[in-house]
Amino acid sequence: MSASPDPAPLDPALRTVIVEWLDDNYHFGDADSLITDNEMSFLHNGILDSLGFVQLILFIEERLTLRVDRGDLSPDNFDGMGKMVRYLVAHPDYRGV
Amino acid sequence: MVAERPRGETALASFTRRAEAAAARLFPDFDALHGWSVDDAPAFWRTFLDFADLATEGEIEPVLVGDGVERGRFFPALRLNYAENLLRGADDDAVVTGWDEAGAVTHVTRGALRDGVVSLARGLVGLGVRPGDRVCAVARNTPATIEAALACAAVGAVWSSVAPDMGAPAILDRFVQLAPKVLLTHSRFTYQGRTTDLGPLVESLQRAIPALERVILLDEGSAPALDVPVHTTAQVRCADGAPWRWDRFAFDHPLFVMFSSGTTGPPKCIVHGAGGTLLEHVKEHRLHGDLGPGDVLYFHTTTGWMMWNWQLSALASGARIVLLDGSVSHPAEDSLLRLVDASGVTVFGTSPVYLQYLDRSAIEPAKRFGFEHLRTIMSTGAVLHQDQFAWVRAQFADVPVHSISGGTDIIGCFVLGQPGAPVRDGYSQAVSLGYDVQVMTADGARRTGIGELICASPFPSRPVGLFGDADGARFHRAYFAENPGYWTHGDFLELTEDRQARILGRADGVLNIRGVRIGPAEIYAVLQGFDAVAASLAVGQEDARAIGGLRLVLLLEMAAGATLDRPLALRIKKALKERASMAHVPAVIAALPGLPTTHSGKLSERAATDALNGRTVRNRHALRNPETLDALVAHPDLTLG
Repeated sequence: MSASPDPAPLDPALRTVIVEWLDDNYHFGDADSLITDNEMSFLHNGILDSLGFVQLILFIEERLTLRVDRGDLSPDNFDGMGKMVRYLVAHPDYRGV
Repeated sequence: MVAERPRGETALASFTRRAEAAAARLFPDFDALHGWSVDDAPAFWRTFLDFADLATEGEIEPVLVGDGVERGRFFPALRLNYAENLLRGADDDAVVTGWDEAGAVTHVTRGALRDGVVSLARGLVGLGVRPGDRVCAVARNTPATIEAALACAAVGAVWSSVAPDMGAPAILDRFVQLAPKVLLTHSRFTYQGRTTDLGPLVESLQRAIPALERVILLDEGSAPALDVPVHTTAQVRCADGAPWRWDRFAFDHPLFVMFSSGTTGPPKCIVHGAGGTLLEHVKEHRLHGDLGPGDVLYFHTTTGWMMWNWQLSALASGARIVLLDGSVSHPAEDSLLRLVDASGVTVFGTSPVYLQYLDRSAIEPAKRFGFEHLRTIMSTGAVLHQDQFAWVRAQFADVPVHSISGGTDIIGCFVLGQPGAPVRDGYSQAVSLGYDVQVMTADGARRTGIGELICASPFPSRPVGLFGDADGARFHRAYFAENPGYWTHGDFLELTEDRQARILGRADGVLNIRGVRIGPAEIYAVLQGFDAVAASLAVGQEDARAIGGLRLVLLLEMAAGATLDRPLALRIKKALKERASMAHVPAVIAALPGLPTTHSGKLSERAATDALNGRTVRNRHALRNPETLDALVAHPDLTLG
């Protein structure tokens, strides 16, 4: 599964869940100001490292009660706020936050 | 120099024959050899020194003077130079390979490294560095750092290094105690693609260390404006044409200072001697790791962890060492695996945390790389769980997994590998030769069972002492006061009937979070800056979902009128990240009406840890407010789902 870019606004509640996780675990209040663009790469802009991605995915699976196919774990789907939110919203088991 | 041995025979087998001749008896198995190594420690260490064929001068006898593990001293009439012993051998062999995140690779031959060490050592002498002077370093894991450390050892200076991502207050807590004459530093470092300028950090260190006479840059970056002279290594080098003569120092001459933080007070500055460090490392590398010429060792570490010093010493066994300056997962998620494969690594040292990262990321190393030369995987830094052994065999490589464990305090291992012996999942194969490792149980010291790890025999890599502890009182309290006559290490250990070993975790308040040893005292020091916090306890909660199996929990007692809200929690986390490290940031912060306190007024990490992990609180009777434990257990944020 992959989600194509979508000009529609990102699901604000889901975006907030991810920002709060980034704040709780990595940026401690600065996450929103660091993510200046929803399409910017997390990996290349110091938002998250590979180990952090693993932790974030595990958190999302538990929080949203869904399972991310391990074959979908690629930068195309997760390296950036927009990609991540679009992937999750398109997930067949996504029921909102 | 390291002699080639018959093809197919391990160094342990060669040494066993040598030991049988020395002892005039046969050792049918490793246990028999180990028994002799602790029952007749002088004979074992004399025989191993001869086997190791190190460059020394003076007398081998007496091998051991003084009584017991606390006072025994090895080879008081022997002299050696650590750097000389690491640099013997053919000039043309590549001995150090450095990688950075961008994939740039640097190979350094033994001849080039020796020339670099000698010219830098001459320069240090010219700057007034003398034997016993402390030289501190904020250093990346690069060949330049290896060269600088060996140059210090060459002139008898004492080396102490930290990684550049450590916060300034934590570095100051360490370096100020040592009053170094020289600070070596890189000007910047890059991690996960982000470059950080170290200039402000160096400025704060220079201001806080009055004894500092000069700063030497380990790279070609720009120098910060300081009140002391700043040089590059190129400016310091002295290419005197006269033959270099290695000064040989006493066996116990200080070589490294390592740091260990506990539950109270500033970090301990542990002084390790050159002879003990070298002899122990050579023993571990050759006998327990079968490391020798032709081997390529990669051990994942920073310059702030004892495994950096440990892998450095592998040069004395003729191995090539490979260094990574940066992240294991940048620019690609499998960057480190690519390094291991491309460098022809034969012995790969890693950690349970990294293996767990691979597993959780669905990275199957064997499907991506051939690892043609790999013959052993070593793991340390945390408990390697039983299922991870099977995972390594199935997903990585079908090679022996050596789960090794010891620590900064002994700059070596108590339990480790045994070449040629089968690996039992979940266990270290052997107790280190020459170490009478036992467990302290309710019934006293035992050679089998479960209890606190103790060592009954003297060993050469026991620290020379603690820096600034002139009468040895702090050293005694740290390691010998709890169980007189034994070294008490602070780990829980299981020893089986067949002498295999399994570390079960820490026995003291020190935490191991994602493979990083965390002293709660460093967290408490940061929290002193928060008026809203009246008291705090940092403890570990076992959590199978956490990386490394343990999550850091911070328990707070709030000041009158203060409450713990989200903005305050984030400010606390941010301060811990900036002033200590990311590893010091708790997974959970919980406010409680009170914290468990003993009748003598000391906050009890032990009681909180037991309660948090559902265990019987061993010291409940010693608490003046045991009801605080009920509130702790009932707190919703501290309940694992």
